[in-house]
Amino acid sequence: MKIAVCLKQVPTRDWQPRLDDAKTWVREQDATFEMNEPDAYALEEGLRLKEQHGGEVVVCSAGPARVAQVLREALARGADRAIHVEGGPFAGAGSTDAFVVATALAEAMTSEQFDLVLTGLQSDDQGFGQTGVVLAEKLGLPHATIVMEVQATPPALRVKRELEGGWFQWVSMPLPAVLTIQSGINQLRYATLKGIMAAKKKEIRSVAPSAAPVVKITIASLYAPEKTKKTHLVEGAPAAAAKELVRLLREEARVI
Amino acid sequence: MILVVAEQRGGKLNRATWESIAAAQQLAAGQPVTVAVVGAGVASVAAELAAAQVQEVVTIDAPALDPYTPDGFTAALAQAIDELAPSTVILPHTYQTRDFAPKLAARLDRALVTDVTAIKGLRAEGSGLGVVFVRPMFQGKLTADVVPQGPAPHVITTQIGSFRADQVVRGSAAAPVRALTVTIDAASIRQKPEAPFQEARQAVDLSQAERIVSVGRGIKEQGKLPLAQQLADALHAELAASRPICDAGWLPMERQVGSSGQTVAPKLYLALGISGAIQHLVGMKGSQTIVAINKDPDAPIFEVAAYGIVGDLFDIVPAMIEALKSPTS
Amino acid sequence: MQTLAFWVLFVAFVGAFAAQVATRVRLIAAAPGQFALDGFPGRLQRFVVDVVLQVRTIRERPIVGVAHAFVFWGFLAFGGYTLVECLSGLGIVDLTGTRWFWAYRIILIPFATAVLGGILLLVVRRAVVRPSSLGTTVSVESIVIALFIATLMVTFLLGFNLDEDTIAGQVNWWVHMAVILAFLALIPASKHLHLLLSPVTVFLKSLELGRVPNLDFEKEEVGLETVKDLPKKTVLDAFTCVECGRCEVNCPAFGAGKELNPKTLILQAQEALLAGDKDRKLGAVFSEKVLWQCTTCGACENQCPVGIEHTPMIIGARRGLVSNGEAPEYLGAMYNHLDRRKNIWGLGYDQRQKFVTSATLETFDPAKHDVLVWLGCAGAFEADFQKSLRSLFDILRAKRVRFGVLSKEQCTGDVAKRTGNEYMFQELAQANIEELKAAGPKKILTSCPHCVKTIGEDYRRFGYDVEVVHSSVFVAELLRGDAASTAAPESVTFHDPCYLGRYAGKVDEPRELLSKFGGDVREPERNRDNPFCCGAGGGLLFADKEEEPGSRISDVRFKQLTATGAETVVTACPFCSIMLKGAAQTSATSSPGSPGSNVQFVDLMTFVRDRHAIAKSPDHPIS
Repeated sequence: MKIAVCLKQVPTRDWQPRLDDAKTWVREQDATFEMNEPDAYALEEGLRLKEQHGGEVVVCSAGPARVAQVLREALARGADRAIHVEGGPFAGAGSTDAFVVATALAEAMTSEQFDLVLTGLQSDDQGFGQTGVVLAEKLGLPHATIVMEVQATPPALRVKRELEGGWFQWVSMPLPAVLTIQSGINQLRYATLKGIMAAKKKEIRSVAPSAAPVVKITIASLYAPEKTKKTHLVEGAPAAAAKELVRLLREEARVI
Repeated sequence: MILVVAEQRGGKLNRATWESIAAAQQLAAGQPVTVAVVGAGVASVAAELAAAQVQEVVTIDAPALDPYTPDGFTAALAQAIDELAPSTVILPHTYQTRDFAPKLAARLDRALVTDVTAIKGLRAEGSGLGVVFVRPMFQGKLTADVVPQGPAPHVITTQIGSFRADQVVRGSAAAPVRALTVTIDAASIRQKPEAPFQEARQAVDLSQAERIVSVGRGIKEQGKLPLAQQLADALHAELAASRPICDAGWLPMERQVGSSGQTVAPKLYLALGISGAIQHLVGMKGSQTIVAINKDPDAPIFEVAAYGIVGDLFDIVPAMIEALKSPTS
Repeated sequence: MQTLAFWVLFVAFVGAFAAQVATRVRLIAAAPGQFALDGFPGRLQRFVVDVVLQVRTIRERPIVGVAHAFVFWGFLAFGGYTLVECLSGLGIVDLTGTRWFWAYRIILIPFATAVLGGILLLVVRRAVVRPSSLGTTVSVESIVIALFIATLMVTFLLGFNLDEDTIAGQVNWWVHMAVILAFLALIPASKHLHLLLSPVTVFLKSLELGRVPNLDFEKEEVGLETVKDLPKKTVLDAFTCVECGRCEVNCPAFGAGKELNPKTLILQAQEALLAGDKDRKLGAVFSEKVLWQCTTCGACENQCPVGIEHTPMIIGARRGLVSNGEAPEYLGAMYNHLDRRKNIWGLGYDQRQKFVTSATLETFDPAKHDVLVWLGCAGAFEADFQKSLRSLFDILRAKRVRFGVLSKEQCTGDVAKRTGNEYMFQELAQANIEELKAAGPKKILTSCPHCVKTIGEDYRRFGYDVEVVHSSVFVAELLRGDAASTAAPESVTFHDPCYLGRYAGKVDEPRELLSKFGGDVREPERNRDNPFCCGAGGGLLFADKEEEPGSRISDVRFKQLTATGAETVVTACPFCSIMLKGAAQTSATSSPGSPGSNVQFVDLMTFVRDRHAIAKSPDHPIS
């Protein structure tokens, strides 16, 4: 199977973001970067499928030079080669929207004729959750999102989708297809020393997007939300406090 | 005109639709709002929706549209939007919407803003264009004001619970319902879905639980566990525990949360009588909302809890169970 | 005629001896790596003390040690005698008639008596007393060797009474020489090869406990994967083992009923080497599962009287597995945490900042501060241990010690190194060294003994040399001049952390502090530089998920500590504290009312601070 895994490099998940001067993005100079977590699970799934069915895993990412870090990490874990879409809208710092990314990725990936394209369900920074699905549309491939399990028997594909409230659904579709993968569906492997050594010799092909992108979303302003992360200690007599807690969980936190 | 795409399954309306209608009415500011229902045999759902103060309810009813598939829904809605020509399309940000909305937007080559929590900068004309949509970024650490670019329609999905369903303005009379004809080539639908199901509860899989009630040494004795179970039941939650409870055999090992047990990330993690030692913490720190009930105000669990009560869980938990019995206001 | 016969015997047995020794020497020579010879004076001193004077063997098992010492010294003393007799038997030269030889024999009499007494004691111990460390079956070979030695001494002594021209005298001589030659032939294929090898092995043993060399990635070194990868020292070790079982008896994993047995590991290596299975995977030789049960406490290596270094072999084999992706799952998850978050818990870095802010810690500045405090993974993220650090800060501030912390700290990489992920370790080490070099401290103070070893010793191999001191040592020195507390004594027991007591050898300072501040120190059965591990090291902190035989190491240690009857257990390492408190919780929940269910835990720094007149006062100045 020829599998593509699309990765995004995002600021470290637990980094407390600081705003840039324009207050429309974060200060990338202050940030450390890592592979988007759902994409890491997509990569792991891709590597497992390769182990099962043979073939190759090609990782793709769009972004500036620093993106090579996550491509190398993926190669160190077992991906065979990488495609780095860089230049144009991906040259500098700042956010790029899903349409621009998906269009550029689709352009770089079409000629490869992948059997399966995997990506995380959404990114840890912007979190629009669009790139994978837009990519499917641009590639003209069927797709499924928030996938918990993949059963590939080429040319057939059967996947388990996550639905609301503890419901699930199996969906079948023909390969080639695009899947967006849910976090936590497998156990991520670590980069072994041999993998890291081998990664140094693997190919990262640089590709420049051709067309000028049409941006569909701009961020007018980025700011910290009013609520801070302090613990809300509910005071009062037990019965009253309990009642108030239930109310808060229902109305404020909306978890009940 | 603002178009709201309702969600239904098997003839049952997804209540989140009302929130999207509330958002549409806010955005429209007096201008027309249309609601569309997609599926097969949706007449009763349409009738239900007609209670809102909207211009009309349109049904996009075809056998090929049941069950839901992204291919089918994208094709149908693309045609509908083409015909209806709304300035903005609003959907609730459900699992289903997340599955097809980006495809629809790409098909239309139009902007899509997902997971919107508020709308700002409304213009008097009420077309919805030039408006700013507020949504979370960086896992809620920051909030963004986002502006969709390009021509209408813009597609918006509203975060569940951000807009109040009870603020939907009802119509004085039922809105008219009409059918919209779309052509769906069933053969072009590539997905073949099976019936949705809930996981059989053979094995405990805490990692999939949406809500967890977890007990620690504060529960004192095995005989007191039923109290925690009652709270779990009232919350439709799974019961879990910290290591000493499982070591003592009061609960099976599969219910242990921590670095030597399960790692969980539910929407709600309620820690009863758990101090929050680091080996427990690393197993549940990913939970969205952590609630802690503990006698010790210095317990480390309060460092990570969003809500907490310092007190005796034997007083608090029964009161919570009572409070949960009465319905929401 | 007799000469010819002797020549035949001589050539046969010496030949057999030489051939077997040659096999083993060839295997050692063929092994990769080099012998370390650094620190020559230290090695020489240790050689004299441990080999010549037999101090180590006597110290752990006094009676047995003395008996063995007698046999050993006797053996050395008899060297000249045997040589002369052989030369005479081979007809090369006969010095047996000389005066000095006669005098020599007289001097040997007390030696022979001592050897006889010693060997008898040892035989009785092995055959009658049968301690478990020697195995369940009595080794026939050992009895044979013992009989040989006894025969040699008896025949020697008889030689005074029997005239060499008589038949009896001749027979006596022949028995003596035949036994020597037979003994010689038996040496290489048995544990008695230690007679030749152990002085060498002890000399070549590293001066640092648990020394594991860095992997050179430029040379594509990945660790020990197969038998042929075992380095020279390890191969030498494998042939030196005397099977005394001291490593086994002191191993905490073994003591908790697990499958790991350091003695078995060494003997398995020996077997595999002799079998010639060069390409056999070490994971198969040792049984992979067993390799992950080691806490790297160092007890095995520390106790070994013949200089065997178990640690590099175990960690080397772990590296071989980890480099190939065969680390157990719980370690894989931890490696991902280290990779992404630079700490073992996988927690976000801003949590450390929260602590730094709330404890009003300053960023280290060499112009302002005397000492750099290294928080470590536990200090940065573990709420319980942070209480101990706050106590330390109170003490430092009360004594006007100016200190600061690094603005950016990553995990020292200790767990990565001890579990065999050398790549992760070197990444973390290089990053930390860069930060430390930029900060420029002269002295680093930390409350985590693992950090002491890693920064103090392991980082030195990257060229970063700075004094690293554990808080117990620093504070003991700091408060030495202070008056002792007048509070009523409280019964305490101190759990020596392996990485402080055994690795760093610091056992007096914690006790000094405890006694000074009102602690009535009760010693548990394993203490000071030979504590029984708490079970956290070597990655085992994360391991409980695995199905393991036997009990938890921490439960065993907890019982040992509570058996002292002390009300309070004092710890000086965050991981010891986590493990032992966990054991206490388990004990309290599973068997309430059992001894030790009410035992308190306190960190050494908190113990001192709460009893120190100035430190405990809320009004003392903050520097």
